[in-house]
Amino acid sequence: MNKARVIARVDVKNEFVIKGIHLEGLRKVGNPNQMACHYYAEGIDEIIFMDAVAAYYDRNSLSTLIQDACENVFIPITVGGGIRTINDIKTALKSGADKVAINTKAVEEPEFIHNASKVFGSQCIVSSIEAKNIGEDEWEVYTHNGREPTGLDVIEWVKRIEILGAGEILLTSIDKEGTKKGFDIKLYEMVTDNTSLPVIASGGMGKSDDAVKVLENSNVDAIAIASVLHYRMESVCDIKKALRENFIKVRL
Amino acid sequence: MSKNLEAYYGLPKVVEFCKKCVISNQRPSSTIEFKNEKGEHKRVINFNVDGICSACVYHDEKETGIDWNHRDSQLRTLLNKFRSNDGSYDVIVPGSGGKDSAFTAHILKYKYGMNPLTVTWAPHLYTQIGWQNMQEWMHTGGLDNILYTPNGILHKEMTKNAFHNLLHPFQPFIVGQRIIGPAMAKKFGVKLVMYGENQAEYGNSIEENTNPIMDMDFFSSDDALEMKFGGVSMQEYIDSGRYTKDDFAPYIPPNKEDLINDGVEVHYLGYYLKWDPQECYYYSVDNTGFQANPVRTEGTYSKYSSIDDKIDPFHYLTTLVKFGIGRCTYDAAQEVRNDKITREEACYLVEKYDTEFPDIYFKEFLEYISTTVDDFWEVINHHRSPHIWNYVDGEWRLRHTASGTGTDD
Amino acid sequence: MRIAIVDYDVGNVRSILSAFENQGSDAFLTNKKEEILSADGLVLPGVGAFSHGMENLISFCLVDMIKEYVLLEKPFLGICLGMQMLFDESEEFGGAKGLGLIPGKVIKLPTKDVLNEKLPHVSWNELNSNSVRWDQTILEGVTDGSDVYFVHSFIAQPENPSHVLSTTEYSGYHFCSSIKKGNIYGCQYHPEKSGDVGLNIIKNFVRICQQ
Repeated sequence: MNKARVIARVDVKNEFVIKGIHLEGLRKVGNPNQMACHYYAEGIDEIIFMDAVAAYYDRNSLSTLIQDACENVFIPITVGGGIRTINDIKTALKSGADKVAINTKAVEEPEFIHNASKVFGSQCIVSSIEAKNIGEDEWEVYTHNGREPTGLDVIEWVKRIEILGAGEILLTSIDKEGTKKGFDIKLYEMVTDNTSLPVIASGGMGKSDDAVKVLENSNVDAIAIASVLHYRMESVCDIKKALRENFIKVRL
Repeated sequence: MSKNLEAYYGLPKVVEFCKKCVISNQRPSSTIEFKNEKGEHKRVINFNVDGICSACVYHDEKETGIDWNHRDSQLRTLLNKFRSNDGSYDVIVPGSGGKDSAFTAHILKYKYGMNPLTVTWAPHLYTQIGWQNMQEWMHTGGLDNILYTPNGILHKEMTKNAFHNLLHPFQPFIVGQRIIGPAMAKKFGVKLVMYGENQAEYGNSIEENTNPIMDMDFFSSDDALEMKFGGVSMQEYIDSGRYTKDDFAPYIPPNKEDLINDGVEVHYLGYYLKWDPQECYYYSVDNTGFQANPVRTEGTYSKYSSIDDKIDPFHYLTTLVKFGIGRCTYDAAQEVRNDKITREEACYLVEKYDTEFPDIYFKEFLEYISTTVDDFWEVINHHRSPHIWNYVDGEWRLRHTASGTGTDD
Repeated sequence: MRIAIVDYDVGNVRSILSAFENQGSDAFLTNKKEEILSADGLVLPGVGAFSHGMENLISFCLVDMIKEYVLLEKPFLGICLGMQMLFDESEEFGGAKGLGLIPGKVIKLPTKDVLNEKLPHVSWNELNSNSVRWDQTILEGVTDGSDVYFVHSFIAQPENPSHVLSTTEYSGYHFCSSIKKGNIYGCQYHPEKSGDVGLNIIKNFVRICQQ
């Protein structure tokens, strides 16, 4: 079993880090570069920068941010939000990102994932999935930052995405996101049972115990956390310590 | 060019947009709804010499010109005056369980130690998420509530008339919603009614923002039979033989003198606390089990504002038709003022979503107001003011938009 | 003192440049012969498919340049795909030829037939010395068992055990994670993405170039 990765998710709007709930709300919580450096110094394993409003404005604008972050932060960086063309991916990678996360475009045009992974290698291509619970053991895929339902079943979509060539899955629970009430563990149990790709659980962490629970009870490989860090509810150290105490291996 | 076009409702003939937010000068101020009749001229939002709307001016004032510590002291003094010590209710908080009333009631109880009774004038048709949030308000928020649902037959007929005569289907609802606070205060012997934000935040006169107490005229009437619902007077409804005065009990406000004599005061919390609607959303998610709309609300980009009534989207449709201002403009203007988005972003969003037709509940709305699709469109098109709308290539288009993409821009 | 980084349109070079800069070195991108041969150190980055990497090296006429550089016995560092291409061949897609600078081949990471064993291997994982001495190498001062960042599905198998500098364990299988042959070094992992441990490795390489 791999060491669990603890990833900081940093949602960005213009020059601010923002934090919403249920993928709604633009409350400013800090400066992206500063926060990235801070989490890096604290021992975070990876950083995901999401352009939180790319879907509304048909743009993506994180290149400069990535370039700056790269100069100070020497851990893997993933960029997402508004990635729509091969050129967008090229720009992101050239700016210093190691991986790109793609959601809306992949649903609109699944072939895009296939083409992107052929050009850049599947290790660069993260399928970002926004999941909303719509019934017992049933989740629907949403796009446009948790706003547009697609009618797609998450499990079916996950199976397709693996065939199409994505290298990793970033799975966000819209119901839990920003609530700080714990992960949707059932979602992750079901998805990891149906794919052999690495899965990153995202959405809902409020305390270390949440991390322990999701890593113990499902086969996710990593957790992406935001509120708990941005609001300084716990530190990266606290979280890793709790994981180690529960016999979950993490990078020191 | 637009100077030669007729402007309905006495609206300003030249359409202008605020230089800071995206609201236009066509936005009406609040009206005394039960006097609202057909052909009435609208008072509109004020723009200053720099082309900035009064809501933005007020917002700047909020940021720099107000001592919020002092306002908080004023609030505490006010609440001390009314706080009960025998377990009885001491403040009425009207609302539907949306983010604003959820915030207001919860903070009054759990931070300021009051004993609120929340009262709800029922939405026409609760959405699933609206009902859920309303229930959570009680179950998770830990509050008491009275849900008042008026006689549906009458309410539907009033709403239908309001749609046809005023293109303002919400008018009867607003009458009831405004009255319920003071009416319940009277019934329960409570002297304080606290609303959330003042509509003046959005462009009523500046003076209303500096006066915490709502004008009694807003919700009391001296002669009930003269009250109009959907442009039709109570007397006319009774004369039809379908209703008696009894049916109008929920709509008859308490007597102004009685209210004054009883010492009833109606305040709005937005005077005492620096109001930010989006922060109310965060607060209500954290404290009262509030959840955003699962999908993007039609006609806008957001998910957290006004999501409890299926008829709501049609209110915004009618403001779009009458004033050229749709739901997205309202949301975006508010978020620009509260520094969530830039004006440029707001223009982009308005362009994208403002004229989106609310399909999801269209059929239910038509059924509610017993109107055919054809009649619906006839009424809609009849109300399009020539100075706002242009019929080009088989479709209606705005002459002016905040982005400058109107047919006459 | 200049360290050249091979520019052949494969891989995230920005991070590598930043990491070297961070460690006080003047690193630069190039695919020109004079610059490569005159550099004090050469870094070959790369991610993705072996055959694609080799194709690009060939089209940029870099194969001979690299071999010529290596003959000069100056320090060389291959990262990830850059390390894999040092070997004779890869079994990927029915076989592709490598630079042949280190005897051995590149094979796919074996995984048990259990869903838990995922590929690609995306993880922080430990460098083990197995009693090989690390001083005077790029791993000098690195604590045995330190974590570095891996993302790959293929691994290199050196024929000569003395070329193995570190191993790493994945699902009970031990594979070669760092190599050393004279002044040629290779890292299967990404030192530019491995936090302080990685920066230390880069610092060591810079020091080796200075000697």
